[in-house]
Amino acid sequence: MRRGTDYRILTNNPLVVRCMEEWYSIDYLEAGSYRDVLVRARDLVYAGHTLFTHPLAGSVKPNETPYRSIVVSREPHAFSAEQAEIVSNSLTAFDKFSEKDWQWSEKVLADFQLIDYTLLAGAMEFDAAAGLDKERNRIPDTNKK
Amino acid sequence: MKLELGLIQIKDIQFSKECKVENGTLFVNADEVKAFAFADDDVKACVKDAHFDIAKPGESVRITPVKDVIEPRVKVEGPGGEFPGVIAKVDTVGTGRTHVMKGMAIVTAGKIVGFQEGVIDMSGPGAAYTDFSKLLNLVLVCDPVEGVHQHEYEHAVRIAGLRAATFVGELARNVKPDEIKTYETYGVKEGWEKFPNLPRVAYVHMLQSQGLLHDTYVYGVDAKKSLTTILNPTETMDGAIISGNCVSACDKNTTYHHQNNPVVEDLFAQHGKTLNYVCNIITNENVYLADKQRSSDWTAKLCRLLDLDGVIVSQEGFGNPDTDLIMNTKKIELVGVKTTIITDEYAGQDGKSQSLADADPLADAVVTGGNANEVIILPKMDKVIGTLDYVDKIAGGHAGSLRPDGTIEAEIQVITGATNEMGFGCLSAR
Repeated sequence: MRRGTDYRILTNNPLVVRCMEEWYSIDYLEAGSYRDVLVRARDLVYAGHTLFTHPLAGSVKPNETPYRSIVVSREPHAFSAEQAEIVSNSLTAFDKFSEKDWQWSEKVLADFQLIDYTLLAGAMEFDAAAGLDKERNRIPDTNKK
Repeated sequence: MKLELGLIQIKDIQFSKECKVENGTLFVNADEVKAFAFADDDVKACVKDAHFDIAKPGESVRITPVKDVIEPRVKVEGPGGEFPGVIAKVDTVGTGRTHVMKGMAIVTAGKIVGFQEGVIDMSGPGAAYTDFSKLLNLVLVCDPVEGVHQHEYEHAVRIAGLRAATFVGELARNVKPDEIKTYETYGVKEGWEKFPNLPRVAYVHMLQSQGLLHDTYVYGVDAKKSLTTILNPTETMDGAIISGNCVSACDKNTTYHHQNNPVVEDLFAQHGKTLNYVCNIITNENVYLADKQRSSDWTAKLCRLLDLDGVIVSQEGFGNPDTDLIMNTKKIELVGVKTTIITDEYAGQDGKSQSLADADPLADAVVTGGNANEVIILPKMDKVIGTLDYVDKIAGGHAGSLRPDGTIEAEIQVITGATNEMGFGCLSAR
């Protein structure tokens, strides 16, 4: 697991909050969209926060999943033109996908939450399976790492 | 390193009491294959039930949701075995002789993550978009044990498929091949002396490695935990790389794609004639930006160290991997090595949008595998192997994709292998 002292997770995914909130600082955009998370990341990167994870998901296309989690630094450090380019290109890429008439069931939403969470966990070297077991078994606080 | 592939053409598959290959027909006892696939603790723990079906080219059959496609092979001479580090022991493969059952595949099907698995149509307009419609497919349909996590189940289905392919491949051990092909690459100095006037070319093979359900394994090692490294091309042909992901269907590299990587095949076809095929450089596509930087730095470093003249770069996936693709290409160009990219495009349904999520002026030589947003209507099939329950939910489908009459309106990204980024397929642009 990467040391989390300088991490801020921007997310609209409730599963990320449930599995990771004990270890990381999380900005939970509860009613926010995928695009809202991208915009928040862009604004913070423009303000000098370091971008730690790529803003676009793996192979899940924008507008095909409602969830996104992005990691930036908790505090602003120095403006990076390269990172600003990555985050603004990502927003451009997002916007070219047309809105579709999604009517996801709870089960499918849960799948999308899982994919977003596992991608994030992979990036953070966070034990995704352990996080899920905590979610499933509700391990009491005494088991905190 | 020299590998012989003994190609055995399979012309028919039939269920039978005994398992054998005779006159090009694979006779298979489904219970025996299933028993072998289930002789693994993880498979037993996570797969409640499984059954086999056969799909043949031209039939009115739809296979969905597809997880992996695997070509049955068996190592008959030389060290190692198929799928080293996963099924066989971890010995280095890529030498000796391997028997290959051509014209057929093991396909694993069944729901893992609702929206990420694809469709193979054996006939109709959808069949033209996937080369898997031209194979005799022995399909392993799995059902999960209730309550099992998706990532545990993905692992179990992956292993079940590889074990089934291993069992079937073993039947080709004592069959005389219809054709034997030989592939050989040389050490750095040896190759240079042999082909002093030919350009030195390598293949930069990017592996999907973004996390659980998005992984690729090399000799059993999760690619996201590996630094950029070198493989002999014959190792790839011999099962060293396997697919462990549930990414969107059209540009997912299945295990079959790795075994039959067309970039490797085509570079070998030119090896010693127009170029000197030096090696494959494998690199990952991690989510963490520092990983992206490290891996692409290393790719460029290895290209320079090997004194290459040119490379072909292929990626897997869209979006986030586009950044790895461009980082690799830019850095390799900057150390003086020419690059050509193979990718697919998400250019919108009208094909007018920018195709990739990232770009650079140095990445000016690109071969496309097609536009994944292109819309297709797939007619109803008489038989479905698997289930249509998820068609509305797979990438490229949408609510209402599955019409009441059984036809599907979707983007071609629902079709397994439709826009493969190794160039395995027939879509391109001029």
